[in-house]
Amino acid sequence: MSEEQQLAREIQQRGFALFRRSLHIRTFDSGSCAVCESEIRLLSSPYYDLHRLGFFFTPAPRHADLLLVSGPAVRAADTALLKTLEAIPDPRIVVAVGACALGGVFSEDVLVHGRVDAVIPVDVHVPGCPPSPLALLHGLLVAVGRLEDKVRALRFDLRQETTA
Amino acid sequence: MLWFLRGIRKGIVTTRYPAARDAWAEQLPSPPRFRSDLLTAELADRLAAACPAGALRHDGGDLVLDLGGCTGCGRCVEVGDGAVAASGEYELASRDRTALLKRIPIRGSE
Repeated sequence: MSEEQQLAREIQQRGFALFRRSLHIRTFDSGSCAVCESEIRLLSSPYYDLHRLGFFFTPAPRHADLLLVSGPAVRAADTALLKTLEAIPDPRIVVAVGACALGGVFSEDVLVHGRVDAVIPVDVHVPGCPPSPLALLHGLLVAVGRLEDKVRALRFDLRQETTA
Repeated sequence: MLWFLRGIRKGIVTTRYPAARDAWAEQLPSPPRFRSDLLTAELADRLAAACPAGALRHDGGDLVLDLGGCTGCGRCVEVGDGAVAASGEYELASRDRTALLKRIPIRGSE
């Protein structure tokens, strides 16, 4: 990482530190099958209760700090997505949610980009189809810097152990 | 008020995540984990062909798993002859897209 990138990252982290205790989320559906939305909605249920962690949903992008994007970024939603992103004041975080948004399910064609980061810069990627509410919570906590992303340390190959 | 009393009686409480992990969540659909000693080039080709999301790719001596693309459908587990099992991992969020690409070395012999 170059010095400039390091500095940019530091400034960004300082901005994100503002969000550690309270953060407002605007969701954006860029053509998903609505299962991601259903999991996002479950975050407000008594079991997951994301308010206890200081997260809130807001219907207005101007009140939001974080954009939660699901879906494969259909081209028809480009204008809406860019306008939503522009309406969110800096510093802002973009979280891409689900396999579609990460480039898994749809390939690029005339109708879809196939991945959200082809349209807007993405800060945190949350895999899953759909990501469970716990996975979403982990993603949100990673986004505000309250948890470290641990996927780099995870191993998906085993040598001698049983796969049970 | 009734739902409140019912909740108390059944003992259903809010999850303690992130302070404590929820064990049940490991049974949710999750990306596969591979036994690289049982993985052969031929099996890797079959796994890559079986993956509907294109998250598995046979690349030289490695099988590349894209966690971002994986939908946890479990078709690779069916095809995998015991070399593949669900991992149960769900804390996969990452700032870095490339961290979601996992290279699994193919160590098995034909």
